[in-house]
Amino acid sequence: MISLSKVKNMSRRYDSRTTIFSPEGRLYQVEYAMEAIGNAGSAIGILSKDGVVLIGEKKVTSKLLQTSTSSEKMYKIDDHVACAVAGIMSDANILINTARVQAQRYTFMYQEPMPVEQLVQSLCDTKQGYTQFGGLRPFGVSFLFAGWDKNHGFQLYMSDPSGNYGGWKAAAVGANNQAAQSILKQDYKEDATREEAVELALKVLSKTMDSTSLTSEKLELAEVFLTPSGSVKYHVHSPDSLTKLLLKHGVTQPAAESS
Amino acid sequence: MSIFEYNGSAVVAMVGKNCFAIASDRRLGVQLQTIATDFQRISKIHDRVFIALSGLATDVQTLYQRLVFRHKLYQLREERDMKPETFASLVSAILYEKRFGPYLCQPVIAGLGEDDKPFICTMDSIGAKELAKDFVVSGTASESLYGACEAMYKPDMEAEELFETISQALLSSVDRDCLSGWGGHVYVVTPTEIKERILKGRMD
Repeated sequence: MISLSKVKNMSRRYDSRTTIFSPEGRLYQVEYAMEAIGNAGSAIGILSKDGVVLIGEKKVTSKLLQTSTSSEKMYKIDDHVACAVAGIMSDANILINTARVQAQRYTFMYQEPMPVEQLVQSLCDTKQGYTQFGGLRPFGVSFLFAGWDKNHGFQLYMSDPSGNYGGWKAAAVGANNQAAQSILKQDYKEDATREEAVELALKVLSKTMDSTSLTSEKLELAEVFLTPSGSVKYHVHSPDSLTKLLLKHGVTQPAAESS
Repeated sequence: MSIFEYNGSAVVAMVGKNCFAIASDRRLGVQLQTIATDFQRISKIHDRVFIALSGLATDVQTLYQRLVFRHKLYQLREERDMKPETFASLVSAILYEKRFGPYLCQPVIAGLGEDDKPFICTMDSIGAKELAKDFVVSGTASESLYGACEAMYKPDMEAEELFETISQALLSSVDRDCLSGWGGHVYVVTPTEIKERILKGRMD
């Protein structure tokens, strides 16, 4: 934190416009956007051999919040692609809408679902535009995209405000993402099943979350998998289902008491 | 010869008791020549809304693809399926967008609305909606269809009887029209199931 404030004073001249580099070759606005995401609720994605698991930590939990069907962290982009969000929610809404329209445009043109990587790339191209021209600030959102297509099967992608993206076997964004990423590096297994991936996701989140106890109100869990008939399904767990899973994997106790 | 009669088509939808039926012919022609006998004119938007498009085949396909585009986005944003009345308004708006260079199709929309109440409507190629309580028709065989439906239709038919009525109306009408026919495709939709049937009529 100390080094950042020192840098801020020096970079005052180079950080107010997104479209210029600093002398050290950095884009400060992009980096500040990533800082904003570092304070937001975390999200973790894990690739398994029969599906992709996305889990998110809800930052806004209040008794007064109307629990409607729509979710805070997980969004469906198309029948075969979903995403988890970390960062500024209003920025995320714009990008999710853009992604949805891009996916439908592809389907309209080619009469088949848009390949996952192409969708991610297309959205990242949009994000990149805001780092190079227009004078508008970048989007303060990182995404974890989970999807399936017939060319590459199940895939997980992570993208950030700079417009960079990568394919991952397991990834984390948002608060404490570095801690989560290092736990994932140790505990991720190549041939895990979806159930094992869910267990790993819950365990990692329980270790890295700031709050003292893990309850179904603070989490969102979604899975992307193939039904027996061969179509892709995006399923968001209900709070009851989540509670059962938390109990089953023994992560529902407050963090201080868990072994 | 009118461009609406280039490919040939016959489409009809009828209201029953808490159910509806929508039927079309299967011929795709290029004026007098028959090109295909399995052309799909009826498409499902979701489990409770169907649309059948008569008219120029290329516009039938493209308009349907555009409607899928719009409906998918609606489903994602509103997290629910479109009601049939709303869908009809969407189709009407999309058609009117092309007021001075229209899609050369006439849609027939049928669906189950709130409380499983059946809804049918048709519109012209620039989006003028026509709601009906009993039946709607469209296509090159429309005049015969009007007559056949008027004679055979009665209100509050159950699904099986509705199927028989709509099938007889369709087959007898397309027999009087050289540009439509080669069998029939009928969907009968109730709150619990969608029954799809192929009819064999005069294969000419």
